[in-house]
Amino acid sequence: MQLSPEKLSELDEMAYQIRRLSVEMITYGKWGHIGGSFSMAEFLSTLYFQVMGVKPGEPDWDGRDRLVLSKAHGSPALYAVLALRGYYPIDEVYTYCELGGFEGHTDMTRTLGLEASGGPLGMGLSVAVGMALGMRFKENARGRVFCILGDGETNEGNVWEAAMSAAHYHLDNLIAVVDYNKVMAKGFVWDEMAIEPFADKWRAFGWDVIEVDGHDLAALADAFHRARWVMPRGKPIVVIAHTVKGKGVAMAEFNYKWHTHAPDPATADAMLKELARTYGRPELGYSKLGEPEVKEDFYGGE
Amino acid sequence: MAANDARGNAVEMRDAFGQTLVELGRQYPKMITLDADLHTSSKATMFKQAYPQRFIQVGIAEQNLFGISAGLALSGFMPFPSTFAVFATRRALDQIAISICFPNLNVKIPGSYVGLPTSRAGASHNCIEDIAVMRALPNMRVADPADAADLRAIMRAAAEVHGPVYFRIARLAMPPIFGADHKFEWGKGVLLREGRDVTLYSTGIMTTFCLNAADLLAAEGITADVVHLGSIKPIDRELIAASAARTGCAVTAENATINGGFGAAVLEVLGEACPVPVQRIGVRDRWADSGGIKELFTHHGMQPVDIAVAARKAIKAKGGALK
Repeated sequence: MQLSPEKLSELDEMAYQIRRLSVEMITYGKWGHIGGSFSMAEFLSTLYFQVMGVKPGEPDWDGRDRLVLSKAHGSPALYAVLALRGYYPIDEVYTYCELGGFEGHTDMTRTLGLEASGGPLGMGLSVAVGMALGMRFKENARGRVFCILGDGETNEGNVWEAAMSAAHYHLDNLIAVVDYNKVMAKGFVWDEMAIEPFADKWRAFGWDVIEVDGHDLAALADAFHRARWVMPRGKPIVVIAHTVKGKGVAMAEFNYKWHTHAPDPATADAMLKELARTYGRPELGYSKLGEPEVKEDFYGGE
Repeated sequence: MAANDARGNAVEMRDAFGQTLVELGRQYPKMITLDADLHTSSKATMFKQAYPQRFIQVGIAEQNLFGISAGLALSGFMPFPSTFAVFATRRALDQIAISICFPNLNVKIPGSYVGLPTSRAGASHNCIEDIAVMRALPNMRVADPADAADLRAIMRAAAEVHGPVYFRIARLAMPPIFGADHKFEWGKGVLLREGRDVTLYSTGIMTTFCLNAADLLAAEGITADVVHLGSIKPIDRELIAASAARTGCAVTAENATINGGFGAAVLEVLGEACPVPVQRIGVRDRWADSGGIKELFTHHGMQPVDIAVAARKAIKAKGGALK
């Protein structure tokens, strides 16, 4: 499957903007996960701007594809792509982690376009299985449910309960996407809890497997096209996206110290300028640089 | 408690559960029953036979059971994920909390085999902390029926309201308290008997025990309010306070641990609205082991005679004269 140069350049721009907005949100919200947001940028861009059938103006449209972010700490990247896709104005992402705004982890009652709520790892694939069964009940053959999992997340037993059942129910309308960025919260996957042979595990559970460079937009578009239209044969499909945690900013790349960490405004400014140079964009820093900072200390007084 | 009880013919709560699932299935085409390899025990099997296309078997995987139910609810269906209460509320608590309650999804959770009567399965299977755990979850409604008619009414009320509901099903045949026309309302209790000296607040199968305790007390000239609170969350604050204001002391009774459960919920209301001396009947911070049903209720001090003893203590504590 071939993408036009215009489409490729659109997907590339969206991936850049997903990273940009993730840094903006995490810095302004003073909390969040840069590494795991960056590693998803290309496949989120591809899913929302090439693969998935959605109507942002009609979010409850029954014929839509659905996406469950099981690694719900990657919320900044998802909030960014939903804004870019037109679910809400881009300015709304700055409510991230503010009281009454977008939640730190996904809360579907707060953010338009979210299909589920989450936070604790290991739970989203089961929800996606329920949605895929729901599509079957409604005899919707074209719809697909996408579920994004972290690599470390597959340490959770619930993932494999869900994987076993998806194969048992022959859910070839379910496409899991694993963000295999090799880095967990406090260390490396191979060191903390080895998951290899990873593709074989999914195959043994009855899934079809596609492995892809998770930062190659053309390869991703091709992988999702195959997963959606070419491969379905009564088996659920997993796209293992080989990614680099923190991809785009040198200090965060392949570095678990940037799993959960909010940069200070000056660092965010440097990160964003580096990101702009990497993407060959005009140098643009942190948009809220210089805004007075609220001290976080609180001891119960005035 | 047996079929030859003076109050009438006892009905297996499980049978009422299975029959009502089928009845609701007829009324609600979007209703789906899910099971984790226990349907002949819970009697969800009746739904499986009636609507095989709307019955989903997930195997022995409770976390997946509740996650799938969340996904079905998000697709416009009304799932009833059915398993033993211990597996629902212990194993899958995170899934119930975050996948279901947090987004306020329309999932109805029957917890089977609650409290002491679980066919000698023992501490691991006797679910005693589910009331405490489930009522701590925002958005969750919690109910414990007294008899088969109450269970049917609770299940109908669960289907009528949007959002998550947890309701308990004891593995026991209970004599009828309510008639077939019995209505259940969320947040409303029922004053079953009126007295002057003490209030017996109860939920679930303990309401029958409290009625029997009230008979024992009546023989001594002590009259008791018997208040059945099938709806544990929301709870009937007005009825609880009004009764305590009249009688001045109370006993709570639940087929569960007293830590954080039903008695605690009543105490929360009384502490704020009408502080009176209270005694609690229930499992007292210990595991509920294997044993015969009657034996277990005696062992844990939950027989009508124990409730009567607690009532006398409560009356004494308020400074009332024991006749």
